[in-house]
Amino acid sequence: MLDLRRLAAVWPAVVAAVGAAGLLLLGLSIAGVDPGEAALTAWRGAFGSWSRLAVTASEAVPLVLCGLGAALALRSGTWNIGLEGQCLLGMVAAIAVLVTMPPGAAACAVGLLAGALAGAAWCGIAVALERTRGVPLVLSTILLNTVAAMLLGALVQGPLQASGSAAPETAVVPEASRLAMLASPLHVGAVLAVILAVVSWLVQQRTVLGFELTVAGRNPEAARFAGIPVGLRTLQAALGSGALAGLAGAVQVAGVTWFVSDGARSWGYAGIAVALLARLHPLGVVLSALFFAGLAVGARALERRMEVPHDLGVIAQGLAVAAVLLAGALAARKRT
Amino acid sequence: MLTLSGIHKQFDTAVALDGADLSVTAGTVHGLLGENGAGKSTLMKVLFGLLRPDAGSMTLSGQAYRPHSPRDAAGHGIGMVHQHFTLAPTLSVRDNCVLAAGRGLGLIDQHAWDRRILALGERLSWPLDPDAMVGSLAVGQQQRVEIAKALLAAGVDASGPLTGRMLILDEPTAVLTPPEVEELLPAVRRLAEAGTTVLFISHKLPEVLRICDALTVLRGGRTVYTGQTLGMDAEHLADLMVGAGRPGAAGRGAGAAVDAPVRLSVQALQVPGALHQVTFQVRAGEVVGIAGVDGNGQRELVRAILGLQADATGTIDTPSLPANQRLRGPHRIGVIPDDRQREALVLDLPLSENLALGDHRDSPLACAGWLLPAAWRLHAQDLVHRFGVRVPAGDVLAGALSGGNQQRAVVARALHGGPGLVVAVNPTRGLDIAASADVLGRLASARSLGTGVLLVHHDLDELLGISDRVLVLYGGVLVDSGWPSCERSVIGRLMMGLPAHA
Repeated sequence: MLDLRRLAAVWPAVVAAVGAAGLLLLGLSIAGVDPGEAALTAWRGAFGSWSRLAVTASEAVPLVLCGLGAALALRSGTWNIGLEGQCLLGMVAAIAVLVTMPPGAAACAVGLLAGALAGAAWCGIAVALERTRGVPLVLSTILLNTVAAMLLGALVQGPLQASGSAAPETAVVPEASRLAMLASPLHVGAVLAVILAVVSWLVQQRTVLGFELTVAGRNPEAARFAGIPVGLRTLQAALGSGALAGLAGAVQVAGVTWFVSDGARSWGYAGIAVALLARLHPLGVVLSALFFAGLAVGARALERRMEVPHDLGVIAQGLAVAAVLLAGALAARKRT
Repeated sequence: MLTLSGIHKQFDTAVALDGADLSVTAGTVHGLLGENGAGKSTLMKVLFGLLRPDAGSMTLSGQAYRPHSPRDAAGHGIGMVHQHFTLAPTLSVRDNCVLAAGRGLGLIDQHAWDRRILALGERLSWPLDPDAMVGSLAVGQQQRVEIAKALLAAGVDASGPLTGRMLILDEPTAVLTPPEVEELLPAVRRLAEAGTTVLFISHKLPEVLRICDALTVLRGGRTVYTGQTLGMDAEHLADLMVGAGRPGAAGRGAGAAVDAPVRLSVQALQVPGALHQVTFQVRAGEVVGIAGVDGNGQRELVRAILGLQADATGTIDTPSLPANQRLRGPHRIGVIPDDRQREALVLDLPLSENLALGDHRDSPLACAGWLLPAAWRLHAQDLVHRFGVRVPAGDVLAGALSGGNQQRAVVARALHGGPGLVVAVNPTRGLDIAASADVLGRLASARSLGTGVLLVHHDLDELLGISDRVLVLYGGVLVDSGWPSCERSVIGRLMMGLPAHA
């Protein structure tokens, strides 16, 4: 049911993103960098050629998947802040499968599936704690992120460590088990991400399940009176969101890194920001993830060419999300 | 001490107070009685500065009194204890009192406050610990804090007199256990003996008769009785509160035929602390009214019937249970919940989606799990047209409609398509007379088409006007009043927990 009203609701997001970028360039000009040149450099670095676009799109893939996961959870009123940990578990499960199963497409498929299941299971722990012990989901999911990072660190130095290696790294995924390349470094996972975005949108807009998720998220009491099984729907959303985050990790392992090492990632956290910037719209998540990836890639180009710290990209992402939330709050105030 | 005369207050087109009078003598406990909707709350809000009256005059200690805010009322020495506590559970007793008395900026003298609180506690014979965390106290103790807070905010000081102050207690015993009530009532008397005037609002006649010096009874926004407690009895008061009413008002049906199919059968329904052995049936083509003062188990009864009360035991047999497996046609249950904004509508979704809610998984609005948007639009247009929902333009958000039109939308959703059973809770709440009549008329015509209606309603006039049978809930026990072949006063007595016949 894409109508004008909803389209209008998307526009503040675009305005906010552009506004945030403008604010950033203003800051650059104060710091003595020519903003026009900086903008052009960043743009070329992120979207300037097919090969640059492939880099940006490849970086956007885990953001799309985590963003879809965050949007799904938020839409049903569930604050899953644990996408990061679920993503890490997805990586662990995927690498375990990919380096042990005989090389081939089957290993790749099983690896992705294992990643998704591991992400869902990790989220399931938090949901179980909430349902049986009343532990708030926001707290448990965020704390499980730390546990997941520790677990990953222990595994890559223990059972999953490559034999003969001193570094905390796993063995490398055999070539036959990797995701096929579209245009290096862009891999088939990108197609999967877009398909899942379209499926998410269809489920949300066109299915009974999606409608019930939305109602359960907006007004659980009214949902119960209308006979919607609210507990079941929010469970489905939470597990689905965990599965998407786990899949993000698995896709990254099978398509980009080909091994797992100790250390921090942040696709899970970024996914929440991506979803908020897209105002929880699944197709918007794709654009929003491209924007986030473009900022990161563009900022790296800026650092290389003009010696501007690449943290600027992160600042820009933060500004964009803040601007969108502000625009949303203002729009809500105008309505009432 | 306090005189209110001829107070009028109108909301939109609904008259809440229609010339209410109240005269309270200083240093007495004065009871204020009335059914739900009689105007008690509105009158208290006027007195406490939360609402301005449209007409009428108020005098306090011989001077004209026109409070413009609760703080202003407190400045005149009036404190109010609301039925639902207004305490911050994570703050100490002292901090709650400081918060209530808060007068802008400045330093807080903790020791002075501690002295005040301790001294007041001593005078009321209630030990109060200023450092105790409010959330950790029992309900009865929290209420003492609430009363102390109100008195302190109204300017009672450690040494200052309690005379010239007035305390409004809004159904103070509703939340208390019997032993806590036994502690509260003598304390209220002690307050009065110390010179504080107490306005005591309650539904519980025995309590009122026990501690009040004088009484005022409101009905339909007017004062119908005011005078001394001495010589009054509970039966007489119940009759006064309920009134003679409009006998056989418009719209009673022929009643269900004895062989009409049973649409709802409730057997020995039990909800811990709320319902005891409730048994009744609703047949096709009848309206069964449930009368009762709010909070006597109505909420739990409705939730149990809809499959939302997890701790309910007993048998509830509806054409389809649980509610999330509702079918169409004669097997469908239509629901008009009590609170349209919290339980019925999703305010930030479009009206068309709200009108589809509940039927959204069935044909013709959905097919094999897929929504059919075109059917949703037609469905919305049909309901809007047939039930007279006034919509500003196109498919607006439900939250953009006026309260009356929101209610029409809820009624439309519940009644369209000839449901087998309708469960309606206070379906005319907040509506003006014409809109109320419209809603009741639609319930009546659903009945004549064979729908069984369970009507839980706080407005006794409307309830008696439309119901074929009336059952009364009091303290979780359901009693058949025998209506319509009984006197209206019998229902009033049953609602107050008194025997049906004096």
